[in-house]
Amino acid sequence: MQERLSFYVRRKSDLHALNPLTKLTLAFVLTILGFISPWYWTPQSVILLVIIPLSFLGKVQREYFSIATRLILPATGFLFFMQAFFQPVGKDYIFQFWFLHITPESLALAFSNASRIFAMVSSFTLFLLTTHPSELMSDLTRRGLPPQFSYVIISTIQIIPQMRAKAQTIIAAQRSRGLDTTSSFIRRVGALFPLVGPLVFGSLVEVEERAIAIEARGFTSTRVKTSLYDIPDTNLDRALRWVLIALIIITISLRLWLS
Amino acid sequence: MDIISQNILYFIIAIAIIILLLIWAYSTKRLQADFNTITWTLIPVAIAINIAIGEIVVTLKLPVYLDSIGTVLVAVVCGPWAGALTGMFANIIWGALIDPNAFPWFPVAFFIGLVAGLCAKGGLYKNWWKVIVTGFLVALTAATVSTPISVGVYGGITASGSSFITAYLLQIGQNLVPSVLITNYLVEPFDKISTCLLAFAIIQGLSTRFLARFPRPENAQIEQGATRTQLLIAVIGAVAILAIYIFVVVKTVTQ
Repeated sequence: MQERLSFYVRRKSDLHALNPLTKLTLAFVLTILGFISPWYWTPQSVILLVIIPLSFLGKVQREYFSIATRLILPATGFLFFMQAFFQPVGKDYIFQFWFLHITPESLALAFSNASRIFAMVSSFTLFLLTTHPSELMSDLTRRGLPPQFSYVIISTIQIIPQMRAKAQTIIAAQRSRGLDTTSSFIRRVGALFPLVGPLVFGSLVEVEERAIAIEARGFTSTRVKTSLYDIPDTNLDRALRWVLIALIIITISLRLWLS
Repeated sequence: MDIISQNILYFIIAIAIIILLLIWAYSTKRLQADFNTITWTLIPVAIAINIAIGEIVVTLKLPVYLDSIGTVLVAVVCGPWAGALTGMFANIIWGALIDPNAFPWFPVAFFIGLVAGLCAKGGLYKNWWKVIVTGFLVALTAATVSTPISVGVYGGITASGSSFITAYLLQIGQNLVPSVLITNYLVEPFDKISTCLLAFAIIQGLSTRFLARFPRPENAQIEQGATRTQLLIAVIGAVAILAIYIFVVVKTVTQ
């Protein structure tokens, strides 16, 4: 069981060497471009011409393709089918099965929506594969994000695997004591409480101890804290961020000018 | 402007409203009143509770999400703004690290936390039937805010089972936005009322000494009373309200 909930893969590559904020900006910009650009084929070209080459540049192509086929493709595929069958656009049915039908327009719309979601998830996956969460949070804190926010995010990332493991343990323990989790609806609803109770109360008890612990470590101090690690922010990073912001502005103006 | 772009605009407006609300709360010191060191430690645990219970419910194959219990919990004992931020962070982290489809719904989570906290502040969380009223109000807000997101980001058809209801409504000739709105109004009350009741049960199970450490323990002071009669009143009242509600919704649809 992983002790931290993250996709990060430790490699030495050009992408890993970039500042975390640059990579975050890149992920956001690619997503937003997919959604607001007036050109129909934007999400697909972003995926093929930007994301996949970048995954090679970051030496994470194998992990990216594995995640894309295992997680992203099924989810977006399901979305594609739901949209193709149920979007009420267009009139001529090119395919009909019982009460489900597809029109060319609904197919186009479904493909467009599914590609946008695919581009969004892919760009963020690429970001997460090449950025260590602690590095990201340190950098954002240095830039002015309140340290409490980065505590919340890092803490959540650490607690979730712990809690999942606890939940599995509790489910197994209660099942071995005869808890019925597979029969009728009423039984299953009743099964919820012996599962949720120990999990929730066990975790809440820890909250007070944690609060005392972090207060003892100077959490509420307003002084600037010195960081052990220095995260580089080069001129290349700055230039890249400005280029990306300019891209967004150009796309928005294009969209407004063309509509 | 076509419907999708219009709803993307609503999404952006919702985000703008959230930012403005946060700025207002910060400058009038309301935001800080909700936050203590223990609030900051409760929030990650609450987010983890959201995710863990959401996953348990999937294992048990129940027709509800129950993924906002932690948000409501924080909203009641710490305050509306803490609850709102919990919801937002929960969706963002869930979307970034587990299931990207959870990400666009963070404004909904923000308003769930906000409304639940405001109801608790107004004393609407002190016994069973008041909790059900809170749950109902939260459900209405959640349904209203999630409709533009559903239409703008997913075109009205999301990957959840409730989309079949939307599809049916579209087939019988309703427009896109009313269909999504009606689907949400039908599905949300069950989920949110159960969520609020479960959060209430959790608060009842915690000791007063523990609750006293949080910024707003007075919201969690349960009114003493005959619990069994109250529970009975609450359940009958809830069923009656839901029955009337569904009747009204179906009547408006089939006109």
